[in-house]
Amino acid sequence: MKQTQQSPLNFDYKYGFSMPDTSIFRTQKGLSSNVVREISHIKKEPKWMLEFRLKSLNIFYQKKMPSWGADLSKINFDAITYYARPTDKQGTSWEDLPKEIRQTYDKIGVPEAEKKFLSGVSAQYDSEVVYESVQKELSKQGVLFCDMDSGLRLHPKIVKEYFGKLIPPHDNKFAALNSAVWSGGSFVYVPSGVEVKLPLQAYFRINSANFGQFERTLIIAEEGASVTYVEGCTAPIYTTDSLHSAVVEIYVHKNARVRYTTVQNWSNNVYNLVTKRARADEKAIMEWIDCNIGSKVTMKYPSVYLMGEGARGEVLSIAYASRMQHQDAGAKMLHLAPNTSSRIVSKSISNNGGRTSYRGLIMVHPSASNSKVFVSCDALLMDEKSRSDTYPTMKVKNQETEVQHEATVEKLGEEKLFYLSSRGISKGEGEGMLVNGFIEPVTREIPLEYSIELNRLMQLEMSGSVG
Amino acid sequence: MNFITFQKLSKPLQHITCNKGEQYCILLFNFSGHLIVDINHESATVFILGIYIGSDENEFRLNTIQHHKKGKNVSDLLIKGVFFDQSKFYYEGLIKIDKKAQQSNAYQKNQNILMSRNVFVDSRPYLEIEADDVACTHGSTTGKLSNDSIDFLNLRGLDENTAKKLLLTGFIEDIFNRINNLGWEMQAKKSKMECLKSLEIVLNEFSTRSV
Repeated sequence: MKQTQQSPLNFDYKYGFSMPDTSIFRTQKGLSSNVVREISHIKKEPKWMLEFRLKSLNIFYQKKMPSWGADLSKINFDAITYYARPTDKQGTSWEDLPKEIRQTYDKIGVPEAEKKFLSGVSAQYDSEVVYESVQKELSKQGVLFCDMDSGLRLHPKIVKEYFGKLIPPHDNKFAALNSAVWSGGSFVYVPSGVEVKLPLQAYFRINSANFGQFERTLIIAEEGASVTYVEGCTAPIYTTDSLHSAVVEIYVHKNARVRYTTVQNWSNNVYNLVTKRARADEKAIMEWIDCNIGSKVTMKYPSVYLMGEGARGEVLSIAYASRMQHQDAGAKMLHLAPNTSSRIVSKSISNNGGRTSYRGLIMVHPSASNSKVFVSCDALLMDEKSRSDTYPTMKVKNQETEVQHEATVEKLGEEKLFYLSSRGISKGEGEGMLVNGFIEPVTREIPLEYSIELNRLMQLEMSGSVG
Repeated sequence: MNFITFQKLSKPLQHITCNKGEQYCILLFNFSGHLIVDINHESATVFILGIYIGSDENEFRLNTIQHHKKGKNVSDLLIKGVFFDQSKFYYEGLIKIDKKAQQSNAYQKNQNILMSRNVFVDSRPYLEIEADDVACTHGSTTGKLSNDSIDFLNLRGLDENTAKKLLLTGFIEDIFNRINNLGWEMQAKKSKMECLKSLEIVLNEFSTRSV
C-alpha cells in the first residue's frame, strides 16, 4: 500500500503494479507472440498462464470480427500498445485535459483529489486510508480482494480452478484478445456463508489496476455468501487508449448472491467491448446493474447462466448515447434448470444524434420447466437526429414457461414539459427532470453517491452544458 | 381499401407498397416467408394479422418488415400462434422508421401458446427507429394456457379438453374480431372458417392422443 508514495505523476497502480519501479517499459505496438511472452515474463507468471495466453492469441488470430452490432471496422489492432509499464504513462497534467472533461468534473462536483485521479493526473487519493481499514475487516472474514495479478501470485490454486472456465478464449474474438494480453482487474473470493456488508468498490482500490485497458475480473461467491461489487464511476474517465476490452467471470454458488454494478463513462474515443458472464447455481441470485454513459462504441451483454434449480438472474441497465456514440448493450439469460426466473429492465436514451441499441437473448432449455422471464425495454428519443433499436431474441424450448417481452420507444411527453414550464421550470431543466424520472427504476438500485452524480450528469447533458 | 390473405401455399416473398391514404388489412394463415410492407406516403394504415396453428412436425418461418418511409401513418401487427407436438415457429419482425417518417405509429405483437413439451418458438421482434416523434411498441409473450383459466372452466362443469378448446378458440377469434371491427367481416369469412376448422382438427387429434 505504501509504494504509491511516489511522484504524483506516476500512475503505477494502473496496470496492477504496486512495486515501485523507475524503469520505463512498454511493449512495441501491435500484437505478436513475443509481446505476449514479454507481458507474461515481466509479471513472473506461472507457466500455465503463459500457455493460456499464447493459446488465446492463436484463437484471436483465427476468430473473425463480429458481423453484427456496432461498426468496429475502425479498430486498428496494430496501432495499439498492449502493455505499458505504468511509469511510462504520459505525464498528463491537469491543463492538458480536454476542456469539456474538466468542466464536467467541476459541474458534477467531483472532489479535487478524485478529479486528479480520474483524469490520470494523480495516483493519490484520500480514500487510501479508508480502504486499508476495509481491507483489514475483510481479511478477518476470510474474504480475498485484490487485483488480478496479485490474485494469481498469491492464490494460484483458486485462480487456476476458475480462470477462463466460464468465458473460454474461443468464446469470441475480444475474449481471446483479453485472454492473451490481460492485465489488472479484480479478484474477489468470498468464503462460504460470509456476507460482505460494505460494497467492494474498485473505485477505492487505488493501488491496483481498476481501469486497465484489458482488465480481467474474477468473482467467486461460495455457498451462502453474499457480496456487492461496484466498478467504474460516473465522472468521465479520460484515457488515450482507444480500445478497452475486459472479461468478467462470476461464479455464484448455491444460495449465494452477487450484485455487480458498473457505471461506465469512458471518454468518447474509446471502443468498449466487454464480455461479462455469471454462472448461478441452485437458488443463487445474480444481479447485474449496468450503466453505460460514455465511450464511442460499447458492445456489452452481461449474461447469466442459470444452471441450478431455482436460480435467479437480473439485469438492470441504462444506456445513454449522445453525439457520435453508439451504445449496443443488452443482456442474456440462459435458463438451463427448472424453476429459474429472470428479469431484464433496460432504459435507453438517445440524444443529439446518438444511437442506442438493445440486443438481448433469452433461451429456455427443455429442462427448464416452470421458468419465468420478464423483459422490458424502454427507449427515449430526444431529437430527430437520434436513433434507437431493439433486437431481442427469445428461444423457447419448454412448454412450462412464461416468457414476456415488451418495448416502447417514445420521445419526452410534450404535455409533461409544458406542465413543468408552466410551473416556471426551463425546458432544459424540465427535460433533465423527466429523463431522471425515466431512469429512476435503475438508479435507485445503485449506491447513493453514484446515483446522485448520475442524476447531476443527466441534468447537465440535457441542459446542453456538457460536451 | 385492400384485404389480402396469404396462406401456407402463397409465394414466400410478398412485397406490399402502401400509397397515400390507402388502407390495407393483411391476414396471414400459416404463411412461411417474407412479408415486406413499405409505407411510402402519408396517412396510410396497415393492419397485419397472423394466425399460426402448428402440429406434428410443422415448421413456420415468418419474417415481417414494417418500413415507414413517410410519417403520419399507422401500422399494426399482431401474430398469434398455437403450437402442438413438435411444431416449430421462427418469427423475426422488424419495424423500421426512417428519419423523415415523423408521427408514425407502429405496433408489433407476437403471442404464442405452447401446447406440448416439444415445441420450439424463436421470436425476434426488432425495432429500428430514427425519427423521434413516434409511438412504437412491441411485445412478445410465450407460454402455456393459464391453469387458472382452465380451473375456472372446470369448476363451471367443462371438462379439460372443452375448456382448452374454448380458450384457444377465443385466442384465435380475437384476430377475426379485429377484422370485423375494421369492416372486413365478409372478406374474412372464409379464412375464419378455415382457421377454426383447422384448430378443431388439431385439437381433436391432440386430445385423443393425450387420453
